[in-house]
This record gives sequence, C-alpha cells and structure tokens, in this order.
Amino acid sequence: MTVMTTHLETDTVEIKRRRDPFLILLWLVLVVFALLWVAPVVLIAFTALKSNAEIMATNAFTPPETVAWSNFSGAWERGNFATTFRNSAIITVIKVPLGLMFSAMAAYALARIKLRFSKLLLLFFLFGAMIPFQVMLAPIFTLVNGFGLIDTYPGVILPYLAFGVPYQVFILHGFFKAVPKELSEAALIDGASHLTVFRRIFLPISLPVLAALLILDFVSTWNEFAMALVLLQDRNMWTLPLGLMSFQGQFSTDYGQLNAAIAMTVFPAVVVYMIFQRYFVSGLTSGAVKG
Amino acid sequence: MAPVQVSNLRKSFGALDVIQNVSIDITDGEFLILVGPSGCGKSTLLRMIAGLEDISDGRISIGNRIVNALSPKDRNIAMVFQNYALYPQMTVAQNMGFSLEISGVKKAEIQKKVAEAAEVLGLTSLLQRKPSQLSGGQRQRVAMGRAIVRDPDVFLFDEPLSNLDAKLRVQMRGEIKALHQRLGSTIIYVTHDQIEAMTMADRIVVLRGGRVEQIGTPLELYDRPANMFVAGFLGSPSMNFLKGTIEGQSMRLPGGERLALPAVPSGHAGEVVIGIRPQNVIVNAEGGTAAVVKVIEPTGAETYVLAEIGGIEITCVVNDRVDFEPGQQIPISIASPNLHFFDAASERRLTDDTVSRAKLA
Repeated sequence: MTVMTTHLETDTVEIKRRRDPFLILLWLVLVVFALLWVAPVVLIAFTALKSNAEIMATNAFTPPETVAWSNFSGAWERGNFATTFRNSAIITVIKVPLGLMFSAMAAYALARIKLRFSKLLLLFFLFGAMIPFQVMLAPIFTLVNGFGLIDTYPGVILPYLAFGVPYQVFILHGFFKAVPKELSEAALIDGASHLTVFRRIFLPISLPVLAALLILDFVSTWNEFAMALVLLQDRNMWTLPLGLMSFQGQFSTDYGQLNAAIAMTVFPAVVVYMIFQRYFVSGLTSGAVKG
Repeated sequence: MAPVQVSNLRKSFGALDVIQNVSIDITDGEFLILVGPSGCGKSTLLRMIAGLEDISDGRISIGNRIVNALSPKDRNIAMVFQNYALYPQMTVAQNMGFSLEISGVKKAEIQKKVAEAAEVLGLTSLLQRKPSQLSGGQRQRVAMGRAIVRDPDVFLFDEPLSNLDAKLRVQMRGEIKALHQRLGSTIIYVTHDQIEAMTMADRIVVLRGGRVEQIGTPLELYDRPANMFVAGFLGSPSMNFLKGTIEGQSMRLPGGERLALPAVPSGHAGEVVIGIRPQNVIVNAEGGTAAVVKVIEPTGAETYVLAEIGGIEITCVVNDRVDFEPGQQIPISIASPNLHFFDAASERRLTDDTVSRAKLA
C-alpha cells in the first residue's frame, strides 16, 4: 500500500489508516459492558411476557412463543399498583422539582452573592452529603414521628428533600462558579436584581445540568426504598418499591407477574430519562459557550 | 452624558494597596483611557467606577452625584467586557434589549431602540442569531450595542479589543472612536495596548502599581513624559535610554564612548539618563559614534536596526531600506532636538528650563 501511494500523485489516494489498538480495546470493553447491562433488561422483558409454564420450560433468554399480556393486568391487581403508583407519582412529582429549585437557588447564592460565611455554609452542605442515610434512619423516624407525620406525604417528602439537596447544591455550585463572572456582572449593570440574574441568565444556561440532576433525582426518588419502608407503615401509603417487595414475598413463584411488576415500576423512570436525555445531550454540546 | 470625578480613591486587599490615592477629573464627553502594564490596577479602578468592586477610601461621583454607595444598576453606566459577556441563550436582539426589558420599557420601544443601535453598528442582519453563531468582531459589536441601547451617562470599556486579531482590532479601534464622536458620551476605556491609548484617547492616564504616573493628552505624554516609565511605555518601538555623565557638550557612556549632544541639562553634573525615540536616532551620521549592528528587522515601510554602543543596546528606526550586515560598524548620532533628560536616581524628567539647548552643529 505504501509503495503504491508513493507512486500515485492524485489527491484521491486512499491511505489505509492503522487502527489504534487502544481504541479497539475501548470498543471491546464497551461491548462487554453493554451486554452486561442489557442482559437483565432482556431477561425481565422476556420473562414478563411468558406464561409460568413457558418460563419453566424454556431458556431465560429465548423470546416468548405466546405473549402473555395477562401478567401485567394480574400484577397490577395483585400488587395494589393503583395505590402505590399514585403514591410514588405524588411524592416524586412534588419532591424532584421542589428539591432542584431549592438546590439551584442555594447554589446561586453560595456561588455569586458575597456572603461572609459562604465557604462554611458550603462545607455544611457537603457534610450533609457525606453522612450515609442509613445512620440517620432511626433519628429521622423519631423526628418525623414527633411531628406526627408518619404515613403522610410531607413525612416522606421533607426527609427526601433534606437528603437530595446537598449533593445537588454541590454540583450546581461547581457549575455556577464556572460561569464567567462577567456574565452576572453585565446583567447586574444592565439593571437586573439577583433574582432576575438567577432566573433569566443562570437557569437557562444550566439547563443541561438541571436535566441531568432531574434524571438522577427522579430515578433515585422513584426507586427509594429504605426510608419509605421506615416512614410509611400504612399499606395505603406505600410507594412502588414497597409494593414490589410485598408482591415478591407473596407470589415469589409467579415469575411472570413479578417481572411484569418490575417492568411497570421501571417504565416511568425510563420515560423520564428518554424525555430529558435529549436536553442533556444537546446541552452538553451547545453549552460550550465561549466567553 | 456626565462628568466623572474620582478623588483620593484607594483600594486595599488586607495590607496590599492595589489603588493608591488616585484622583482623576473626567469632563463631560471625554474619551479617557487608563493604560498600564498588567497588574497596575487599571481594571480594578474601572470596576470600582462601575460599582463591581468595593471602595476602601475616597470618592467617586458621576454627574455630580456621589455614587460610592450605589449599586451598579443605579449608576446609569454601561460596561463592555473583554470576553463580551453576552447572554448565550438569548438572541442578539434580546441581548441588546435586556436592560430595557428589565426596566419595563414597552416592547415596541425596545424594538425601535435595538433596531437603531443595530443600524449604527451594522448588526441588523444578525439580530436573530445567538452569540455562539457570531464571530469575535460581531460579538464585540453586540456588546457595544447592548451598551448603546441603554443611553448611559458613562461608557466603561474593559480591554474590549484584546480578544480580537490584529487586523480586526485596528478596524474596531476606528469604529469605537467614530462612535464616540457620534454619541459624544463620556467614555472610560481600559487597555494595556499603548497604541490603542495613543490613537483613541482624548486624555491618557498612565498607571503603575496602583498609582497615577501621568495624565495628559496623547501627544503631551509622548512629547513630554514625566518620567522614564511613561517615556518607555508609550511609543513603539520603546524609547532608548542611555545612562552616562555629561561632560561639556557631550555625554560619556560607562564604556568610555562619547555621544555629542545638541543640548545639555544645566546644573546637573552627575549621572543622567538620555531618552531618545528610535525614530530620532540618526544612522550613518557624519561624526557619529561607532555602533555595531546586531539585528536588522525590515517591516516594509521602515527598518528597525538594533545596534550596540559599548554594550548598550540602541534601537533605530530608519525610513529607507538599508543593507547593513550584522557585525558591521555604523556611525550613530543622537543629535536630535527631541531628546529627553531624566534624573538617573529618581527617573524623573529634568524640567526643560534646566536643559540649555545648544544650536545644532
């Protein structure tokens, strides 16, 4: 090939590039990890659509011969999904936007308003993110119980907020700090108050970060188990993961329905991811604003 | 449009004084340029006038109103930043109309004003674009448009041209100057580029280490620099400085070489420093002092000749093409009427009445 190219003088000579072995390695690793991650999804999807007889008879990774949609309706009924789904939806829909709003405002104040103790305050937030919540389960129960909020929505939403805000503040603070100082100064000279700077300048340019945090927070709130288990005793207040747990205990042999229940639980998180992932990705490229 | 007064201004970070007792009177409609090397406090001074930095001591007034305690938005100023600071998610039109929108001006009015400013700056076709779709020069113009739309008392420019390439910088220089002539507004402009200062300013303030070295019109500063710093800072290539002792009508350099002088400072027998601009050095002069050519830099229109006299480098600008070789000896004379004398110890200019000008031979 090299001999040929030296003799040809046209511009259209195609030079075969040697592939970088490191790139090949990266691709291999990527494929292996993708398979690892896809496998359970395929397993759940296939199992959810098979009848129990077929599950026992066939390999886990063979597609269902006859689709058993009845798994879904059965799981919905038996798992009391009408209630748990509603509870999860209410808690998540209130908690996630509220928490993001608080975090963004706190992060802006820490990053852009001159405060005497801003570093100490940030450290305080960081400290909140560092304590594992398992340690706090018992004190939280006592506290929530003291307010008489066990088995109520605020009783779950408030602790969720408290544990969600610190790491969001940390991430958003880092992002806001990286925004050129002149941008907020220009707005302040233009006559904007801090509220306006926050709302009109910082929120729009941090959309990609906010979208990423929203996805993360939605998924973690939607799937939260331990705290809900402690704070929600009444079956009618249970969230989806709790409902799934009892379902699993009662009907552990009915794999078809169990997997249908899992699929239904995961579905909203996937939808939210699909919707906001678009902002997330497009934001990553358009967010690279120079100056 | 308004006069700006800065009196006895100070700013300190702990024990470090970054602005030391600065007083400047800026008249209504003046184009004032703050110039100095990096770290001299020029940007800090501008930001103090804008209200973005606290004032440790002293007073700033805009339009005869003391603004020390006012926030930036209440000072009726507009500022153009070095990195443009355009709002990335807004279009050009939204960027320019933002301040009016905040102050509650009606939409039709905003549109009219934005269209007017865009017309002046040649941005009309770009109004619906986002900043990321603009070139550097266009972004700079939008930043200026944002300032013009507000019709402020004072325009503040913080090194607005340093991010542009050399050709565009020259063009924008002309545009800003034309804009000033058209609007007649007070402008305070910060730059580290002495050519920008010389070409655009009504008056220049040279700063060093947070202190004012000299204030004056560009030609005043060029012709009569108050000290060696100002003399060396303005003009390109920089002024040559030769240290030596005066003996009769000539100067003796440390190496023993003699340079004939057209004038000598009287009553100043000790060491002096002579400042001579490269353009005033006479190359191939009759009876000149021998100098060794080190480097030749042709620029097309002129030729820069770097020569050495007794170990002291001296730059000469020659209008003709020359065919010197490095190492060649050429006679150089500084017998020019445009000589500057400085005290060797204090680096200050020796006042002209202490310099007796002899007739040129």
